[in-house]
Amino acid sequence: MSCRELERLALEGASTEAQGAHRAVCASCERIGADVDAAIALASGLTAPRVPGALREALLAIPQRTVSCSGAPDLMARALEGGLPDGDAARLRSHLSRCAGCAEAAATLHVLPELVPAGPAPWLLGRIASARPRRRSGGWRKLLDPRAVVAYAYAAAVVVMVAGLNPADLARRAGVGFQANTREAVTVAGSSLADRFGDLQENLIRRFAVLKGRAGGYGRAAISTALALVMKEETPPPPGRPRSGQRGMPRGSQTQMMTWRA
Amino acid sequence: MNEPNEKDLVERCRKGEDEAWRELVDRFGQKVYSIAYHFTLKREEAEELAQEVFLKVFENLHRYDGSYPLTAWLVSISRNLCIDRYRRHRREKSFRFVSDDAVLPLLKSDDDPSAEAVRKERAKLLFWALAEIPEDLAEILVLRDLDGLPYEEIGRALQLPDGTVKSRLFRARAEVARKIRERHEEQRSGALATLALAAGGLI
Repeated sequence: MSCRELERLALEGASTEAQGAHRAVCASCERIGADVDAAIALASGLTAPRVPGALREALLAIPQRTVSCSGAPDLMARALEGGLPDGDAARLRSHLSRCAGCAEAAATLHVLPELVPAGPAPWLLGRIASARPRRRSGGWRKLLDPRAVVAYAYAAAVVVMVAGLNPADLARRAGVGFQANTREAVTVAGSSLADRFGDLQENLIRRFAVLKGRAGGYGRAAISTALALVMKEETPPPPGRPRSGQRGMPRGSQTQMMTWRA
Repeated sequence: MNEPNEKDLVERCRKGEDEAWRELVDRFGQKVYSIAYHFTLKREEAEELAQEVFLKVFENLHRYDGSYPLTAWLVSISRNLCIDRYRRHRREKSFRFVSDDAVLPLLKSDDDPSAEAVRKERAKLLFWALAEIPEDLAEILVLRDLDGLPYEEIGRALQLPDGTVKSRLFRARAEVARKIRERHEEQRSGALATLALAAGGLI
């Protein structure tokens, strides 16, 4: 904690010796004094930057770029008379862009519409050019914002619900013509759909019949073949002389024949 | 003390004498540009501000009555125009990383490159510390220690008594040095911590 004695001595303009004497006996002031000396030493090592030549020329040209408040009324009067050269008009315009008092006077005298075609001041051009462009949100941009559109949709839905405006009822009330048109359109669409479905069904039935016929034919042929083979194996040998030791079969057994009736 | 010919100079400028305006520019252009540069540390902005200052001076020449030094009037206009830019830079932390190019115009030319490098680092450190201390202290240090303005002109420009100017300047210097010392201590402790970590990793 400082005793602030060193600060008091410095403010009073005390000599360096007096300040040094106090610093020798006060540790906190000695530390602050060392800090102050260090800061002074830091700053003293610097020099002033040199004025660029282009800046000097620009400063010298200022009387040609603008006009003082005392000279502005004269130019405004000449502007009202219509005899103001372009150079003086530019100077007056430059001044009016910065001086609120003269700009108000010019507006009162209706000088501004003749002189200031709503353009930025020359001294502002550099700033505008160097400024980072910002996205300004205009009225239309806000209205067409996607989030705003969603909000509109929700709001419309809420209004419809609250007001009891059922879309089906609204359509029903819309008139006979609308209903007739709707019915006709539905009929056309329905008939077209039925025709297509009928064609498909008929085609499928035809194909199924063909397949069924083929399957039946194949099946019958297979059964006939199988039966023919069976009947062939069971057919007795043709009648002839009985073999030795065998006196022949009874007559009745010979007359029994397998018959098949389809 | 007001120089006797300052009012005459202004009067001649008002009458449209080019020579008078040239004299005014040559006499005060360096000071105005220096203030603008110290507040911005950017050449383009300093030039722009200097032009704005002299535009304002030219358009308001009729307001100067000669009762105070012309320098104080110019410093007051310069400070008022520069302070907004200075505050913006502080908000944007532009002074936190002061580049070599920014301080280069402020260095005295020296044949010894090592001495110049040291001065460059010290200048960067000074502007960093100025951005760390309160604004009302920093601007007084800039006007006094960097631009070399007398207490009276600073007090008139800032509308402060001389005692307040001196008190703030004393505190500003102490604060700047304290900030720099704290930064050195942080860096030293950080370096020691890094060394300790490295040593621990090796062990």
